[in-house]
Amino acid sequence: MTSLPKNHLSEMETTCETLLHELQVIWDEIGESDPEKDKMLLELERECLEVYRRRVDQSNKRRAQLRQAIADSEAELAAICSAMGERPVHISQSNQNAGGLREELKAIAPQLEEMKKRKAERWGQFLEIIEQIKKISAEIGHSDCNSSDIALDQSDLSMRKLEELTMRLQALQKEKSERLKQVFDYLKSLSMLCEVLGLDYKETVSGVHPSLDENEGSKCISDDTIVRLECAIDSLRKVKIQRMQKLQDLATTMLELWNLMDTPIEEQQLFQNVTCKLAASEHEITEPNTLSEDYISYVEAEVLRLEQLKASKMKDLVLKKKTELEEHRRRAHIIGEVGCETEFPIEAIEAGAIDPSLVLEQIEAQIAIVKEEAFSRKDILERIEKWLAACEEESWLEEYNKDENRYNAGRGAHLTLKRAEKARNLVSKIPAMVDNLAAKVTTWENERGADFAYDGVRLLTMLEEYTILRQEKEQERKRQRDQKKLQGQLMAEQEALYGSKPSPSKPLNGKKTPKNTGVPNRRLSLGGAMNQHSKTDIAHSNRAIRAAKKADEMGTLSPVSRGLDIAGLTVRKLSFNATSNNTSRESEVLRKPFSQVKPGNQLAPTTPVSKPLASIPADIEEENRPPKTVPIIASKTPIAAPSPSPMQVACTPAPVALKFEEENVKLSPEVEFSFEERRLALYLSR
Amino acid sequence: MSAAPVPLGSGGKELSKPPTDGISNLRFSNHSDHLLVSSWDKTVRLYDANANVLKGEFLHGGPVLDCCFHDDSSGFSACADNTVRRYVFGSGKEDILGRHDAPVRCVEYSYAAGQVITGSWDKTLKCWDVRGASGPEHTLVGTYPQPERVYSLSLVGNKLVVATAGRHINVYDLRNMSQPEQRRESSLKYQTRCVRCYPNGTGFALSSVEGRVAMEFFDMSETAQTKKYAFKCHRKTENGRDIVYPVNAMAFHPIYGTFATGGCDGYVNVWDGINKKRLYQYSKYPTSISALSFSRDGRLLAVASSYTFEEGDIPHEPDAIFIRSVNEVEVKPKPKTVPAPS
Repeated sequence: MTSLPKNHLSEMETTCETLLHELQVIWDEIGESDPEKDKMLLELERECLEVYRRRVDQSNKRRAQLRQAIADSEAELAAICSAMGERPVHISQSNQNAGGLREELKAIAPQLEEMKKRKAERWGQFLEIIEQIKKISAEIGHSDCNSSDIALDQSDLSMRKLEELTMRLQALQKEKSERLKQVFDYLKSLSMLCEVLGLDYKETVSGVHPSLDENEGSKCISDDTIVRLECAIDSLRKVKIQRMQKLQDLATTMLELWNLMDTPIEEQQLFQNVTCKLAASEHEITEPNTLSEDYISYVEAEVLRLEQLKASKMKDLVLKKKTELEEHRRRAHIIGEVGCETEFPIEAIEAGAIDPSLVLEQIEAQIAIVKEEAFSRKDILERIEKWLAACEEESWLEEYNKDENRYNAGRGAHLTLKRAEKARNLVSKIPAMVDNLAAKVTTWENERGADFAYDGVRLLTMLEEYTILRQEKEQERKRQRDQKKLQGQLMAEQEALYGSKPSPSKPLNGKKTPKNTGVPNRRLSLGGAMNQHSKTDIAHSNRAIRAAKKADEMGTLSPVSRGLDIAGLTVRKLSFNATSNNTSRESEVLRKPFSQVKPGNQLAPTTPVSKPLASIPADIEEENRPPKTVPIIASKTPIAAPSPSPMQVACTPAPVALKFEEENVKLSPEVEFSFEERRLALYLSR
Repeated sequence: MSAAPVPLGSGGKELSKPPTDGISNLRFSNHSDHLLVSSWDKTVRLYDANANVLKGEFLHGGPVLDCCFHDDSSGFSACADNTVRRYVFGSGKEDILGRHDAPVRCVEYSYAAGQVITGSWDKTLKCWDVRGASGPEHTLVGTYPQPERVYSLSLVGNKLVVATAGRHINVYDLRNMSQPEQRRESSLKYQTRCVRCYPNGTGFALSSVEGRVAMEFFDMSETAQTKKYAFKCHRKTENGRDIVYPVNAMAFHPIYGTFATGGCDGYVNVWDGINKKRLYQYSKYPTSISALSFSRDGRLLAVASSYTFEEGDIPHEPDAIFIRSVNEVEVKPKPKTVPAPS
């Protein structure tokens, strides 16, 4: 190849020379002048030069083009490499390559081609990942922030960026799976809740998002859906708790009712699944339909039925128990709290003002107390019966003794004679009986720290009164006897004077002996009233007696009234006493227990001390009225102050409002000694 | 109301094997429900109040007028034979800390100072250091003369209140016993029976033989002193006459700061000193209340029902100790109710 142009040139040179020679020859033949010849030769040379120049220009241009192409390729390659984050390929060395520019271009071209291909591949990967990211973002529901974030940008296609995107995609995929799991969890709990509450699951779910309802296929997992699911679950849970509480309330009531009415087991079995959930917490209730509206109303209906049953039964029960209590009381001759449990339960139950079961409980408690008390009183009560029987015989005997015809032999006279003999025998034993009884009662009272009351009247008082009456009677009898003797003497004198003799059997005058039954009248009237079961009478007479007896009973007030005393009544009483006649109070002697009762003190309330109770009805009311709120319970724990009572505060040093009992404090004005010092002195002296 | 008998056992659980003569004091331990009881029958007894078991009995040379715990395993006693003794319950070991010149009326142990403080009818107060070497010359920390015979002591923190005959009240700071911090006259007109410091350390309550309790404050400023007051209690009106009973014992509730008083009327009352209310009255005990003590958590109240000789040598009910479990409602302060708009 290389030889060809040389030959060609030399050939061309020879051709030129021959042609020039030929031209010389021609010119010689023509006979051209030399200047002409020179001119033509110069022209020829110029033409030749022109052709050369044109060629050089052309070649030059071509070289420039080639260089440009190489530079362009190199630039493109470098751009691609930088975009792909790779080290640029070495190009410059090839410049010195002898291959020339064409070679060089040829060498670059495949490299460029390769890089372009790789770039396209990379771009494809990017597109794919971005596509996925976009898709998942859209599903999750925050596409807005992401689409702009991953705007397609070919300038950075490095592996790092790819990795970044891949990681992002993975994160998104993870989030998606988590959300899916969450949604499924929610759906599961939702379905459980619906089941327990008896609701339609499909309806509930499609209410949240239609896509959730479908069994397969993608479920919407956007934030919004999750929030709505949460809301739905939350509201259902609230409903569940609410219903559960309702059901548990119902179950509690039901159990109480069963207990109260001894409902048969078969009947209870039906609702076993309700009552067994009594203490269950919210998440423990999973059985389908346990909290459906239907079921709750079913249970409700049962409770209502039981309530009605109870209401009808309760009244009977309360009535029965009440009669039982009254019977116990009557037998033990105890009088209940006036107007307290004897009156209120039935009306109140009918009016629905109080819970009959409470009343029942209270009555039962009261029965237990009364029974216990009756047991302790049994021995004394038997003796009382004997004494009362003896008293009756005594009064009969008295009447009999007054009968002037008692020795007339009529029909059955021998029987009365016999009875009189027996009665006399019995009457002679009465004082011993009374003493015995009094001793027994005293020990009883000391043991129990309370008064022994017989049908509401303190027995000791009854006995004392009886003794007094008996003494009075004795005196009366003695007086009569004396008078009779006197009369006899007078008569004897008269007889001696006038010789006539009036009948000795006639009563001396019309003066009536006090109609004395031997037993305090009020006792009998009470007993009579008791036997007739007229409660209100008892209450009234009892109250009246109490008012009269107040003065005696002050020393031994019942615990509750004593509690009231301390709680507040003292103030009132003290103020009353302060305004009342002081001298009379001071002159009044404090009655010692078991000492004689002065009739004036008790029967005729003339002293100001016993009077206030009659004149201030409010006081009596307060004293005798049982505490309103819990009457029977109050009697069980009598001392408990129902509410905090204010202290009796006085400024320090407080003046002593009333002189306290010297016996109690015993202050010696000279040297003061404490109880302990005095005790030790006595201890050492022994 | 008919004379319904007080149900038996309503006064609380009665301890078996009670002292055979008057109970001078009883105290719960600060560490357990053990109860230390001193008695005129010359003994100090240790009970487990929960189990109702008599755990120990320590005989003395004369009637024991007071006792207190050292720790859960040992205690001190004040005896009418003028001695102050220490007992170790487990071993029964006994040492005499020292003597007064007259019967020792009261004993207290200060955890703050690690000292035993005794008050006696010899008109002195003595402090004893039990940690010191044995022998009276080392044990006795100091003797502090008092204006009169000491009747009652009470401690709170570093404060010591001494009540003596003649209605004197001395307040000491245990860190400086040379002089009383305050010398006061009782604001009550009659003989002091008992003094007890408030658990919060701001003052003390005084009770007298004349059914009255005074609430006093340490702070002598005018504002603090306006808060002091006295109130009547343990009284009965009979036939228009006021019968007044001595208030023998007081005990503060360790948690609520309310307090119980016991009188010769056999009643135990619980008071709310801040709201000036009576919170509760327990059912009457057989005879005078001679001592009261709340357990460390305030759940139990020990009540000594024992005739206190206020009426001389007369027949009386047997001595008994009742352990009453305390209901919160009985001791929790009840703030004044806001008057409802009518």
